Amino acid sequence: MSDKIACTHCHLEFSKDVMIKDGEHYFCCNGCQGVFHLLSDEGLDSFYDKLGDNKLAPPSDQFEDASNFDSPAFYERFVSVNKEGFSEVSLIIEGIHCAACVWLNEKALTNMDGVVATNINYTNNKAKIIWDDDTVKLSKIIEMIRAIGYNAYPYDASLQEEKADKERKEYYLRIAVAVFATMNMMTIMVAQYAGYFTGITPEIKHILNIGEWVLSTPVLFYSGWPFIRGTYYGIKTKTVNMDTLVATGAFLTYIYSIYITLTRSGEAYFDSVTMIITFVLVGKFLEVLSKKSVADTLDVMNKHLPTDVQVVENEKVVTKNVNDVDVGDILLLSVGERVAIDGELLSGSGTFDESSLTGESEPIFKTVGDQLISGTVSIDADVKYKTTKDFAHSTMSNIVSLLENAMNNKPRIQQLANKLSEYFSSVILGLAFLTFFAWLFYSSNFEQSFMIAISVIVIACPCALALATPVATLVGLSIASKRGILFKEAALLETMAKANVLVLDKTGTITRGRPKVIDEKIFTAFDKSLLYSLLLNSKHPISKGIAEYIYDDTLECFALESLHNIPAQGITAMYNGKMLAGGNALLMQTIGINVTSSSEGSEFFFAYDGEILAEYELFDTPREDAKEAIKNIKKLGIEIIMLTGDHQRSAKKVANLVGIEKFQYDMTPEGKAKYIENLHKEGKTIVMAGDGINDILALANSDIAIAMGNGSDIAIEVSDVVLLNDTFSSLYDSFKISKRTFLMIKENLALSFVYNAITIPLAMMGYIIPLIAALSMSVSSLLVVGNSMRIKFGYKD
Amino acid sequence: MSSWVIAMMLGVSVFLGSIAVVALMWAIKKGQFDDEEKFLNAVKFDNEEDLNDAANLERKKEKLKKKEYRPE
Repeated sequence: MSDKIACTHCHLEFSKDVMIKDGEHYFCCNGCQGVFHLLSDEGLDSFYDKLGDNKLAPPSDQFEDASNFDSPAFYERFVSVNKEGFSEVSLIIEGIHCAACVWLNEKALTNMDGVVATNINYTNNKAKIIWDDDTVKLSKIIEMIRAIGYNAYPYDASLQEEKADKERKEYYLRIAVAVFATMNMMTIMVAQYAGYFTGITPEIKHILNIGEWVLSTPVLFYSGWPFIRGTYYGIKTKTVNMDTLVATGAFLTYIYSIYITLTRSGEAYFDSVTMIITFVLVGKFLEVLSKKSVADTLDVMNKHLPTDVQVVENEKVVTKNVNDVDVGDILLLSVGERVAIDGELLSGSGTFDESSLTGESEPIFKTVGDQLISGTVSIDADVKYKTTKDFAHSTMSNIVSLLENAMNNKPRIQQLANKLSEYFSSVILGLAFLTFFAWLFYSSNFEQSFMIAISVIVIACPCALALATPVATLVGLSIASKRGILFKEAALLETMAKANVLVLDKTGTITRGRPKVIDEKIFTAFDKSLLYSLLLNSKHPISKGIAEYIYDDTLECFALESLHNIPAQGITAMYNGKMLAGGNALLMQTIGINVTSSSEGSEFFFAYDGEILAEYELFDTPREDAKEAIKNIKKLGIEIIMLTGDHQRSAKKVANLVGIEKFQYDMTPEGKAKYIENLHKEGKTIVMAGDGINDILALANSDIAIAMGNGSDIAIEVSDVVLLNDTFSSLYDSFKISKRTFLMIKENLALSFVYNAITIPLAMMGYIIPLIAALSMSVSSLLVVGNSMRIKFGYKD
Repeated sequence: MSSWVIAMMLGVSVFLGSIAVVALMWAIKKGQFDDEEKFLNAVKFDNEEDLNDAANLERKKEKLKKKEYRPE
C-alpha cells in the first residue's frame, strides 16, 4: 500500500512508488523535475509560493524543433520591426493555468538578455514580446518558454482581430457617453414630470429644456453615429432598416424639441432621443460582443504548417521557402519536424503522428514507398522523400484554404427580428408621412401635423422591437452557460432552434475515444504485476485501457529490460531472462505463437515465455447518457446521422447501441464536409457535433458546429457551441434551450407588435399626449424584458 | 434669482460629470480595461522586486537603443 503524494512542480498526485525521488522532492516525470531545477537555478522558485494550491499540467514532450522559428520566411510572416528598431512578435502561450504562470513567463522572459518588453494577457493567453534581434533570436525566446514547461506558437495579430477589438472599444466609448447622458437626463426628467403635475414656472422649464438639449446632443451625434451611418448607407443602397427608423425618429424628435425649446411652446422630447439611442445601442452592442472572429481560428490552424523545408539539390542541402518547392523535389525530414508538402518516402522509416488528419492518437509506422501527408509529425523518423504535390495543393494547405472558405461563407440564416424590422421600419415611416399629409390636408396647420407625424414615429419606438432578440438570447445564453454549454454567438441560438438534422461523429463524440475492457479471458493464472509493468511502458490507448482495468493497490512495478515498442503490433520486454509480450494477434504470430482473431472490437494478448496467459477484448463504448439523449433529441423531430472514419463493423455496433438508424462509415475529412454540403442542397439546417481535427471541415461547413469540451483545440475554435462538461445530455439541453429561447423571441416580437397595433392608430389620430407616450414606451420595454425572464422557468439549477 | 441657481447647479454638475466621462473614455482608449484580470493580479503580486525588474527593463532598453549599430 502506498499513499498518494503531490509532485513538487505540477502538484498532481500520484502513488509514491511511481514518483521520481530527488532529495526531499518528488516528481511525477522528468519534465517536471527539469523545470523545477531550472527554476531554482534561475532564482525563480518563488513561483511555487505564488502558485499556491493550483495544479499544473506536466510539461509535454516537444517534438518540434525551435530553430524553425529563425528562418527568414518565418520572420517575414510573423515578426515586425517597430519604430525603435526592436523586433516584435505576437505569441499564444499554451499551458497557462493561473496568475502565477503568467508571472513566471513574464519574469523568465524579462530576465533574458535582449528582451525589452513582454506583455502577456491574463485572459486570452496572448503575448506580445519585443526584443533586440542582434542580442537574442526568437528561437531562444521560444525555447525558454518551453524550458519552463509551457509551449508557445506565433500568430498573425492580423487586421481582422484588431478590427474586432477596435469596434468593441468604439462601442464602449459610445455607450459610456450615452449612459452618462441618459442618467443625467433622468434626474432632469424627475423635475419636469413633477412640474407637469404641480406646476412649474416657464422660466425654469426653459432652463431644464436647455440642459436636456446640451445632454442629448452628444448622444445623438456621437453615440448615435452608427445609426446615422447605417441610414446613410441604407439610403445609398435604397434599403430601409432598423437604423433608418432609429436615426430618423431620433433626429426628427431632436429637431422638433429644439423648435419647442426656442419658441417656448409645448413639451420637448429630448429624453426620448437619448433613451431610444441608448437602448438600441446597448442591444446592438450585445450582438457585437458575442461575435467571434474567423481570424483567431486560422491562427491556430496555421501553426500546423512549417514555413520552410530542407531540399536536396545537386548533392547539397538548401533551405527553401515551401512555396518555392516543385513537384519531384527531394526533401529531408528529421525527427520532430512537421511534414509541409505531400510526398512519397524514398529512404528511411519511422512512426508518424497522424492525429491531425484521422483523429486517432495511435502513431502510424511508415517505410519506403509509403505516402507522407502534410500536417503530420515525424515522431522518430529521419527520412528522405520525394514531393508528389506542390505546397498549395498539399493536403494540409487544402484543408486550411477549404476551412478559410467555409468560415468566411458560413451559411447565415437571417434572423427573424432583422427580417421583420425591415418591413416594420418602412411601414412606420410610410404611416408617418401619410399622417402628416392627411392632417395637413384636413387642418392645414403645419405645426400640428408635423407634431402628430413625429409622435407616430416616437410611439412606434423601436425599443421593444430592438430589445426583443438581444434580451431573450442573453437570458438563453446565461442559462446555457450555467449548464456548461457555451454559445459563441448570440444569433446561433435562433439558428439552432431551426435545425432539423444532427450529424454526429463517432470516436470521441458518441464514444469517449478511450477503449475499455469488455471481456477478460485468463488461460493460466499469472502475476498481474508483470502485465501492469509492461503496460506502463506504452502510451497506446489500448494499453491504458487495460492498465486502468487491472489496476489495484497490490500491483508492483518490476524493472523490465530491453523494451521494444513495435508500432501497430504491441510491446515486448525481457524479465528474468524470459520474454514478455503484449499486443495483437499479429505480434503473437511474429513471436511464434498461433492465435486466431475473432472479435469485433480490439484484442490484446499477453504472453510470457512463449505461452499465452490471457486475452482481453476492448471496445470503445458509447457514453452512458448517449442513448437517452439521442432518444430525446429524436423526439424534438430532429433527424440524426452518424459519420465516422471507422470501418463498417464497429460503426454499425455503436449505431445500434445508441439507436441511430442512419450512418456512414469510412469517411475522410473531405468526405464528411461533402456529405454536409449535400444535406445543405436538400435544404436542411444542420447541427454537427465533433471533437477531432478530422471533423473540422465538416464542422466549418455546418450551420451550427458543436465541439465536445475535451476535443482538440482547433475543433473548439471552429465550432459555434462548446459543451464544456463533455456530456451528451448537454447536447440535448442545448437544443431545448435554443428552442425555448426562439419561442421567447417570437413572443417578444408579437408583444411589441400588439402594442404598436394599439398605440399607432391612436397616435395617428392625434390622441397621444406626451406623458402617455413616455410611459407606454417604458412599459413596452419592461414587458419584453419580463417576458424573456420566463425562459428561466424549468431551469431552476 | 432662483432660476439662475438652477442653471448654475445644472451646468456645474453636468460639467463635473463630463470630466469623469472624459477620463473614463481616455482610459478605455489607452487600453487600461483590455485585460480584466491583470488589474487584480497585479495587486496580488505587487512587490519591490517587480518594480526593480521594470526599471531594469527600461535601462536595458535604453542601452540597446544607444548601440552604434542598428538594423533598419
